[in-house]
Amino acid sequence: MADLLIVDDEPNVLNALRRMCMNRTATPAIPDPHVATFAAPLEALAYMRTNRVDLVISDYRMPEMDGASFLTKAKMLQPDAARMILSAFSDMEGIVRAINDAGIFRFVAKPWGDTELRASIVQVLEHRDMMLENRRLADEVRQQQDIISRQQLELVRLEAESPGITRVRWTPDGGVLIEE
Amino acid sequence: MARTEPNTMRSALVLKKVPRQSPVLDAPGAASITGKLNDFAWICALYELGQTAAAGVDPLKVQQDILKHIVSGLDAESGSIALIVEGTDDLLEIVAGTDLPPGTVGSRLPRGVGVFGHVVATGQPLLINGDAAETRLPVQINERRDRATHSAMCWPLRVQERTIGALAVNRAAGLPKYSVEDLDRGQVLTSLLALVMANHRMHVERENRILELSTLNDAMQRMNALLEDAQNQLIQSEKLASIGQIAAGVAHEINNPVGFVLSNLGALESYVGSLFALAEAADAAGARSTGEPSPEGVSPGQALRDGTDIEFLRTDIAALLAESRDGLGRVKAIVQDLKNFSRGGADESWELVDLHAALESTLNIVRNEIKYKARIETRYGALPEVECLPSRLNQVFLNLLVNAGQAIEANGRLLIETGVEGTEAWIAVEDTGCGIPKEHLNRIFEPFFTTKPVGQGTGLGLSLSYSIVRKHGGRIDVDTEVGRGTRFTVRLPLRQPRAAVPATSV
Repeated sequence: MADLLIVDDEPNVLNALRRMCMNRTATPAIPDPHVATFAAPLEALAYMRTNRVDLVISDYRMPEMDGASFLTKAKMLQPDAARMILSAFSDMEGIVRAINDAGIFRFVAKPWGDTELRASIVQVLEHRDMMLENRRLADEVRQQQDIISRQQLELVRLEAESPGITRVRWTPDGGVLIEE
Repeated sequence: MARTEPNTMRSALVLKKVPRQSPVLDAPGAASITGKLNDFAWICALYELGQTAAAGVDPLKVQQDILKHIVSGLDAESGSIALIVEGTDDLLEIVAGTDLPPGTVGSRLPRGVGVFGHVVATGQPLLINGDAAETRLPVQINERRDRATHSAMCWPLRVQERTIGALAVNRAAGLPKYSVEDLDRGQVLTSLLALVMANHRMHVERENRILELSTLNDAMQRMNALLEDAQNQLIQSEKLASIGQIAAGVAHEINNPVGFVLSNLGALESYVGSLFALAEAADAAGARSTGEPSPEGVSPGQALRDGTDIEFLRTDIAALLAESRDGLGRVKAIVQDLKNFSRGGADESWELVDLHAALESTLNIVRNEIKYKARIETRYGALPEVECLPSRLNQVFLNLLVNAGQAIEANGRLLIETGVEGTEAWIAVEDTGCGIPKEHLNRIFEPFFTTKPVGQGTGLGLSLSYSIVRKHGGRIDVDTEVGRGTRFTVRLPLRQPRAAVPATSV
C-alpha cells in the first residue's frame, strides 16, 4: 500500500499523474497505489491533517503558495511522508528552499518521463520504508535496552496510526483543537 | 616684383604717381585707344567672359581669357593680374599673365613691394611712362633692355571698397605711351573686371558651400540610416531581452501540457494493451464456445472483462484524449503567439489589426508570469481595426504587461481596458502594484533608466515603447500613485495620416 498525495494547479496534470501511478502493467509499477490529488495546496494540507500519506508530490508554481512553502508545511504535519517536487519551473532560490527547508527527496523536471518518474517514486518509497524500518529497529533495540519508556513507544505508535494525535492542543475551556 | 613680372616692369621706366584727376603728363605721344574701348562688341565679349566666369569654368583659364581680352582691348603688349590671397591682407598671387615665364602664374609676390604692392597698398591707379629708375617706388628692375617697357598702367581691382588685387598692362617702346585718359578708361574696365572676379569668387564659394552642404547632407542621411538601423536592432534586442524575461513562464506553459500529454500517451498504451488482451480473450472464448454462454451464464470474456474494468477504460480513454487534445492545442497556441510576437523586423508593413487579438496573443505569453500573483481582468470596448505595425505594438503591450506583473508583489489585480475616443483607440494596462515614485516619473521613458534588479530589466522597455507609439502618431499617458498602482494608457490614431490603406492590405 502506497499512499500518494499529488498537488498541481493544472487538473490535466493531476489526471495524467493519477493514470501514470495507477498503471499496474508498467515496470516499475508502484505497489498497490492509492492516489489523492489536489489542485489547491491548502486543501492538500487539510487532507494531510487527517490522512496518513507516504509520499507528497508537488508542483512548484501554484497560486496559493509555492511548492517549497507547501512541502515545508507538509513536513511539519507529517515528517515521515517523503517529498518530491515535479515542476517545469523554479528559480535557484526556490530549489534551495525546497532542499533546505522542505527536505525534498527528488526534484523532477516537467515534462517528465513516465518510466523515470515512476522509478523515482518507487525509489523514494523504498528509501522511506528503509528509513522507517531503521528507526523501528533502532527503537526496538532501545526498547530492549529499556531506554525508551512504554509511553513513548505508545506515542510513536499512535502518531504513526493517526498523525497529529500526540500533538493535541487544548482550548482554555478544555476543548480539543482539531484544526489549526 | 620684377622677377615674377618681367614683362610688366621693364627697365628704364619713368614712374609717376597719377592721381585720378591729374593732368596729362605726356599726352602728346598717347594714341587713343578709345576707339577700341567704344567697340560694343568688345564690351559684349568681356561681359560674356564674365558670365563664363560665373558659370564656374576653371577660374585660372577664365582670368587668363579676360586678361588677354583686356590686353588686346588696350592695345597692350602684355599684362598680368594679381589677386590678394584669401585670408590675407596684402599677400598677392599672380593668377594670370601674358608672355610670362612658365611657373609665374600661381607664384606669390613679396608683400608690399613693386608696382602691384604699391597699387594694392594705396588703392590708386598708376601710369608709368619712361624710366623706372626715376621712381621712388621700391621696384626691382629686371634689365631687359632689348625690349624696354615704354609705358605701363596698373589699376587696383576693387569690390565694395575692398581691394582684391591689381591688373597691369604694358607697352613696349615703339608703341605710343598711355595717357591719363587711358588710365581713367581702364579704371572703368577694371572695376568691371573686379566685379567679374568677385562674382566668380562668390560663385566658387557658393559652389563649395553647396558641395559642403550636400556632403554634409549625405553624411547626415547616412547617419540617419545608421541610427534607424541601430534603433531597429535595439528594438529587436529589447524584444529578445523581454522574451528572456518571460522565457521561464513560456517554458512552464509549454512543458506542462507536453508533460501530461506524453504521460497520457503512456497510459493510453497500457489501456490499449488491456483492450487488445480483452479482444484476444473474447476471440479465443468465442472460438471455443461459439459465443454461447456457458451453463453457469458467465462467458470467459465476461470474466476477463470484470478484471479489466471496461467501464473505467471507456470513460478514462475519452477523458484522456480530450485532455491531451486540449494540451496540444495550448502548446500550438503559445508557439503561434510567440511567432506573432517575434515576427517582423525593420521591413514590417502597416496592417489593419484587431488589437484585442493582439492583446490576447501577447497576454498568453506573459500569463504565466502574472497569474500566480495577480488576477487578470479584461474589459474590452468596441474597437475597430487599427492601422499599425502589429509586432511592434505587441512589443509595447508585452512591456506594459511585464512591467505591471513585476510591479505586483502578490495578490494583485491586472486590468486591461480598451476603447475608442474620437479618431483614437486607447488601450490601458492598470496594475495594483507598487506605483512609481514622483522622482522617477519623469525619467521612466529615458533609455537605460531602470529600477529593476540586474537581469530583470534592460531599461529600454518603456523608452522603446514610447518611440514605437510615437511612430504610430500616438502617445502614452501614465497615472500612478505609490502603493496604489499604475495605469499606462496607450492612445493610437485609428488610421495613419499617409495615403489611405486599401482594405485588401489586412
